[in-house]
Amino acid sequence: MREALKAAGAIALKDLAVEWRTKTALVSSLAFAVLVLAILFFARDPTAIGVVDVAPGALWVTFTFAAMIGLNRAFLMERENRALDGILLAPVPSSAVFLGKVAANLVFVTTVEAVSLPLFVLFYDVPLWPRLPALALVIAMATFAFVVVGTLLSSMVVQTRFAELMLPLLLLPFLVPPVVGAVQITARLLAGRPLSEGEGWLRLLLAFDIVYFGLATLLFDDTIDK
Amino acid sequence: MQYPDNGGYMVAAYVITAGVVVVYAITLWARLRKVK
Amino acid sequence: MTTRERAHAIARRGTVLSGVMLVALILVYVRALMFTPIERFQGPAQKIFYVHAPAAWSALLAFAITGILSILYLWLRDHRMDLAASASAEVGVAFSVVMLTTGPIWGKPIWGTWWTWDARLTSTLFIFLLFVGYLVMRGAVADPDTRARYSAVLGIMGLVLVPFIHATVFLFRTLHPDPILMKPDKPSLPGDMLVTLLFSFGVFTLLYVGFVTQRYALALLEDLRDEEAANRAVS
Repeated sequence: MREALKAAGAIALKDLAVEWRTKTALVSSLAFAVLVLAILFFARDPTAIGVVDVAPGALWVTFTFAAMIGLNRAFLMERENRALDGILLAPVPSSAVFLGKVAANLVFVTTVEAVSLPLFVLFYDVPLWPRLPALALVIAMATFAFVVVGTLLSSMVVQTRFAELMLPLLLLPFLVPPVVGAVQITARLLAGRPLSEGEGWLRLLLAFDIVYFGLATLLFDDTIDK
Repeated sequence: MQYPDNGGYMVAAYVITAGVVVVYAITLWARLRKVK
Repeated sequence: MTTRERAHAIARRGTVLSGVMLVALILVYVRALMFTPIERFQGPAQKIFYVHAPAAWSALLAFAITGILSILYLWLRDHRMDLAASASAEVGVAFSVVMLTTGPIWGKPIWGTWWTWDARLTSTLFIFLLFVGYLVMRGAVADPDTRARYSAVLGIMGLVLVPFIHATVFLFRTLHPDPILMKPDKPSLPGDMLVTLLFSFGVFTLLYVGFVTQRYALALLEDLRDEEAANRAVS
């Protein structure tokens, strides 16, 4: 068990190191985040729609799309470098490979989120800081959801033609429960409502995280070409 | 008339349903013939 | 019987069932349109229910079966289960198209709007997109074994998604009318209408079975043809 975790950690660090060398995906995700926030801010009639109405959706669209950019690059790089063959030849259980990839993708996506969040507060002027702990919890849970599902799907998709098109097509239906839940809770938090009001949504998020983490770990083995 | 005048919608829905089902049935039949 | 002969036999059975059910569908139409009373407040458009709900049911049934077959494939690794799963998915797309077109056509006169982005409409749309994604992915993977594995993974992921979509629906408190039939004591639909609806459900279900049987036979035959072509190429 400890071996597997060490292997997962090694894989995660390798992935992150490779990304850090070029930083292309990180930079494009951040640029994208700024653009989306700006566009969604301006794409409304300011006399009819208050910023606070559009804010939760804007935040989560930003996070979701940034996550998808990050997920695609993860396996794309592998494919280009044929690095995956090397990993698979080593006697590492596929669940460890999966854990490592999820960890790396989590770090990537949360980095983008952590930088986007102050931008969000800046552009949208929402009362975020008093609700930060609760919001951080929601962000963590929803991000975990889409990184887990996204990592599994991107490991399949990268082998196909039209990989960049396939990932959003396959991933988006799975994002509906966590993103809807996250938006609902975020809206309540930004409106000053207590976190307990979003209890149903929190339970949905938690259930989704647990179920899909388990399922994806089990299924990952079948996404690798042997 | 006691009831609202929305028969047109009903007709459209029934036509589309029949259309889709029949077209799909035909594609199945045609593909089965082709693969013989 | 050779595999090919067996596949042809299956195709024949499927074609007969589909044919009979298409005739039965005509009877459903006659009964719904001419021999079922018009609902007083909703008008004739209410009758869309008699095709919309069964189509939705068939689509969801198709989806569930694709999911179950996906699980069975990963467990038993029987290639035919993959073929059956893909057959069910394609038939599911057809019924989904009926569901997603008749739904808004019902919605416009009854609710006043084509589409509401309410949670139930949204989730049926997403299930349709999952089906489409499943079939598109199958089209993009050349190797049959890889294709079967990937499809099974996606099928299971999708199956598990449905309860979450329903939970999202429930939490969101939708505009969609409460299920008339699922009440514990008795359905709120008066006698004549209930009979029409149940008749329609029966026909749509058996039509699904007929179509899937045909599509499965087609998959078997295509598989055989590809195998023979590959063997010829090698020799």
